[in-house]
Order: sequence, then C-alpha cells, then structure tokens
Amino acid sequence: MAAGAPLITFDTVWKSYGQGEAKVHALAGVDLAIRRGEFVAIMGPSGSGKSTAMNIIGCLDTPTAGTYSFMGVDAGRLDRNRRAMLRNLYVGFVFQGYNLLARTTAAENVELPLIYRGVAARERRDLAMQALAEVGLVGREHHTPAELSGGQQQRVAIARAIVTRPTLLVADEPTGNLDTARTHEIMELLTRLNKELGLTVAMVTHEADVAEYAERTIRFLDGHVASDTMNMETA
Amino acid sequence: MIWEAIRLSLRSIRRNVLRSFLTLLGIVIGVAAVIAMLTIGSGTTQKVKADISKLGSNLLVVRAGRPAGPGGPGGLDQAVRPLAEKDLAALVAHLSGARAISPASQKQVRVIFGTESLTSGVTGTDSAYLDARDWKLVSGRPFSDSETRSGTGVCLIGETVRQQFFGAGDPEGEIIRVNRTSCKIVGLLEPKGYTGFGQDQDNVVLMPLAAYQRRIAGNRDIDNIYIAADDRTPTTELQPRVEDILRDARRITPDRESDFAIRDMTQIADAMASATTTMTGMQGAVAGVSLLVGGIGIMNIMLVSVTERTREIGIRLAIGAHEKHILIQFLVEATVLSLLGGIIGILIGLALAGLASMTLTIPFAPSPAVILLAVGFSALIGMVFGFFPALRGARLDPIDALRHE
Repeated sequence: MAAGAPLITFDTVWKSYGQGEAKVHALAGVDLAIRRGEFVAIMGPSGSGKSTAMNIIGCLDTPTAGTYSFMGVDAGRLDRNRRAMLRNLYVGFVFQGYNLLARTTAAENVELPLIYRGVAARERRDLAMQALAEVGLVGREHHTPAELSGGQQQRVAIARAIVTRPTLLVADEPTGNLDTARTHEIMELLTRLNKELGLTVAMVTHEADVAEYAERTIRFLDGHVASDTMNMETA
Repeated sequence: MIWEAIRLSLRSIRRNVLRSFLTLLGIVIGVAAVIAMLTIGSGTTQKVKADISKLGSNLLVVRAGRPAGPGGPGGLDQAVRPLAEKDLAALVAHLSGARAISPASQKQVRVIFGTESLTSGVTGTDSAYLDARDWKLVSGRPFSDSETRSGTGVCLIGETVRQQFFGAGDPEGEIIRVNRTSCKIVGLLEPKGYTGFGQDQDNVVLMPLAAYQRRIAGNRDIDNIYIAADDRTPTTELQPRVEDILRDARRITPDRESDFAIRDMTQIADAMASATTTMTGMQGAVAGVSLLVGGIGIMNIMLVSVTERTREIGIRLAIGAHEKHILIQFLVEATVLSLLGGIIGILIGLALAGLASMTLTIPFAPSPAVILLAVGFSALIGMVFGFFPALRGARLDPIDALRHE
C-alpha cells in the first residue's frame, strides 16, 4: 500500500436497526475514505450516525449493507474473533470515560492489550513503561486510576492505546470529561502522536475548538456525511 | 495465558474477600462433610474389622439351637439339646484343618476380692481357648491339662478385673471368690479393649471348664465350641466338616435339621465391614448433595461477577481479547475459587475426622484417593458451574458492554 493510500474506506455503508416500519437507518449509504496518517474529527448531533460510524471504523461493529474495508481487508465480513484480532493488532481506543480497569495500576492497564498478544511479562512491562513515558506519566506507573486525575487517567488510556503501536487511534470524545486546560494538553498529545508516530487518528467530538486540532472535519447528519472539509492549519 | 488468568482470578478473589468467602462456604461445607464422612466411615470399618478379628481370626463358633434361617429368628428352641463333652471329643478326634478346638461356657457372675466386688464374665474352658481366640498372657501361665481335667480352682483374669482388685499390683497367686467358690489366679490376660458394641472384653475370668460346670453352672453343658482353622484351611471349608462330625456325634438323621448353629466369624466380619462401607457411601452421597448446592452458589456469584464486570469485559474485548480469553478468565476464576474451597474443606474435614476418631476411639484413616477425588471434584464443580456465566461474559457485545454502567 502506497503512502497516502486509503486506510479506511466506506463504500455505500448502511447500518440499520429494527424491522419493517420500525426500521431505523443509523447510516444510510455512507461513502468515506481516510488515508494513513490523517487526523480526522468526526462531528454531528446525537443520532446523526457518527458513533455508529466510529464503531465500524474501530472494527467493533459491522455494516448491514455495503463494504467497510480496513487496510484493504473487508473487515465488515469478518467474524468476532477476527475483528478482535484486527483491533488488537492495528487499532487503539480512547474513550470519553477513560475506561481503565479499576483497582489496577496504570502500568497494568497499559499492559492489557499486550497480554492478548501473548507478549512475555518482562517485555510487556518495558513496553508499558515506554508508552507511559511517551504520554508524560513517568513516576505514576503504580498508581491506580482512583489515585490519578482525569487528565492523567486519559493519558494512561492513550498509553494503553498506543502501546501496541497501532495504525489507527479511535478516540470517542476523548476530552468530554476534561476541563479546558486538560483538554488542551490531551489534544496536544494526540497531535504530537499523529505527527511523530504517523498515527492515523479518528476522533469523535462535539466541540468545535477540539475539532480544530484535526486536519479534517467530517460532519454527520441523519446517517449521511453532511460535509467533509480540510481545516486551516492551526498555529 | 492460563497463568495470567490464574493471577487475575487470585487478585479478583482477594478484592472481594467477604464475597469470595461466602461463595466458598458452600464448597467448603460440602467437601468437609464428604471428607469427614468418608474418613470416619473408613475408620469405623477398620475398627469393626479389628474388633471382630479380636474375637479370633478364622474362627468358627458352634452353639446349640437351630441356625438362624428364613423361617424366623434362629433363637433357642423350647428344648435345646445342649452341646456336650462327647460332641467336643468327636471334633477333637475327627476334625482335620483345625488349629485349636476349645469348649466355653459363660455366665455373668459376681467376683469378690477382699471388700471389692465386680460382676464379671466368667468362662469355663480349657487351655486351647487362648490359642483359639488368639489371646496371649501378659504374665503367669495357662491352665495345665491336669487342672483342666480335674477342675482345680485356678483362674486367669482380664485387665479390668486386675485393675478393680489389685490396681497396678501383681495379682498372681491371689485368691478371688467367684460365686461361692474360690480360685487362685495363675495368669493375667493381655488387654483386648472394648468391642465395637461397647462390651468390655477385659472384664473376664477364665477357669477350667470342669470347675465352672461343677461349682458355678451346676450342669455338664457346653455353651460354645470355638474352632480355629489352621493357616491352610479356610473357614468355609472347615464349616461343613464340623457340621458332618457334629451331626454324626449327635445322631441326627439326614432327614432332620441340625440342632446346633455354626457361626463363621470371618464372614460376620466381612458382612459387618461391607455394611459399614455401604453406610459410609450413603453418608458420603448425602454430603455430596451439599457440594452440588455449593456449585450452584458458585454459578450464582460468577453471574453476579460477570454482570458487575460487564464494562471490564467490554474494555478487554475492545482492545482485542477473543471470546476464549474472556471465557478462560472467568472459568479459571470459578475453578480457582472452588478449588480453594475444596482445599479448605479437605483441611476442615480431616480435622473433624481426627476429632471424631479421638472421641470415638476409632482409627484415623484418611484416604489419599478420597482427598484427591475431592480436589478433582471441587475443581470440576468450578468448571461446570462457572462455564455458563463465563460463556455469558464471553458472548457480550463489546459496544453494549462498554456502554454498561
């Protein structure tokens, strides 16, 4: 795959729930492409289909109709375990609520995806420390989420997402629970990871100033892509 | 992966100590009950066997009266023809395969020494009795043949009698009064302890049969004839020979039933032992039911655990855990939990059995096979009852699970 070639392609993707009269189309024939290394913000009111699109992008969900290809693979036709493997190998997740394991240290949380890769304990530890260093959390390795601030917890979650050196980072309202200063820090971090590691970032947000960190904004409305614009370079 | 899962499950058990303990309780009680029952049971079986072998090994006991049969209780007929000197003589003369043949007549009689008195089982017999009953002397000597024949007033006493009259002292040469006659103690019998039925086997006085008959019973009857088989002859082979000789001696025509009964102590021992084993098995099975209940407890708590940790499962699935990883995690947790319960249960069960064996004076007989079985069974319970909750966790949709509050 050449550099800049699409990492993600939606080809008339439909996602429908329910039957007959009550049938609801969360996505109604979406066409979309995201190239490697892009930083994309996905916006839209609730019910617009942006979350559904994100679940499909993250290989958590499959389309009802149409084709979703991820790294040239028809990911929409894969079974649960194969999609789990894809996620483990190529996708990192960051959630609004951090979703760290409670009463588990930062280092152990970061190690988690490596366990499912079958990485040996010592190597896991080393990689986790390295990832925590990358997000600026040296010295907090043995703190549990309850002992960390929201911003720090989100940094742990980001470390967990990048510890596997994924191709794609899926971030679902990553700053939704944070104050302005912390939001700014987290967005700086994501931008840096995008630039330095060449990590493709797909981020759902409803805050325009957060979306501005991205290079491109895709707006969803009623299951369609309403607009797809390149952002002005931020200073 | 398995090691990781074990580590994880230990941590999760530690985090919910109280809940884990309550979950374990079912398994602990179940396993403890099974282990205690089976261990006490096998101790009882050993005890029963030992008790009966104390009566003498490979022993046949003949007594007058119809043998017990399907026609009703064998008890004593109205007119029982007692065993007599000539029956004994016929056996001594004609029976092959016997190590010892000895007559014995018994009665509970008041025995007096000085101002002390004791009601004791007084047995009139001969010197072959000790051999027939595998009974040894601690000190002194058995009756001589001439004492047996002439019915001299000599006797052997059991440990209980000695303690009652002489404390720790040496009874030899002392004269005790038995009923209205006196007899000189010539030897002390080895202690045998109590039978499984609570009878003190050491509260006995043995005296020559002729002396007993003349001075105590007032007749010439023989209550029992003890016949010990030699090492080469099984009692089952000896029994028909005894029957033939006695029928002949007592002139019983072939068309009539024997008017005496032959009891095979070996068979009685086996029957008693197998009855105890059956009882033990039944008690074990009843205790096993509580294990089932314990298993359901595990299933219950694992379902709670899966529901409680839905979000955790969602995170794990999102970051790449396969169904089998989640399945293994919860299966291992359930198994570790019930295995832990099993081990605690075994320890408690053994402690209970040890306590019981001390208070009931039965041997402490823990069986490695039973313990191993209990370990395996409790692990199995964890797997079986943990499977459904684990599968439920593994089948969760990651999107729904992540949304779970």
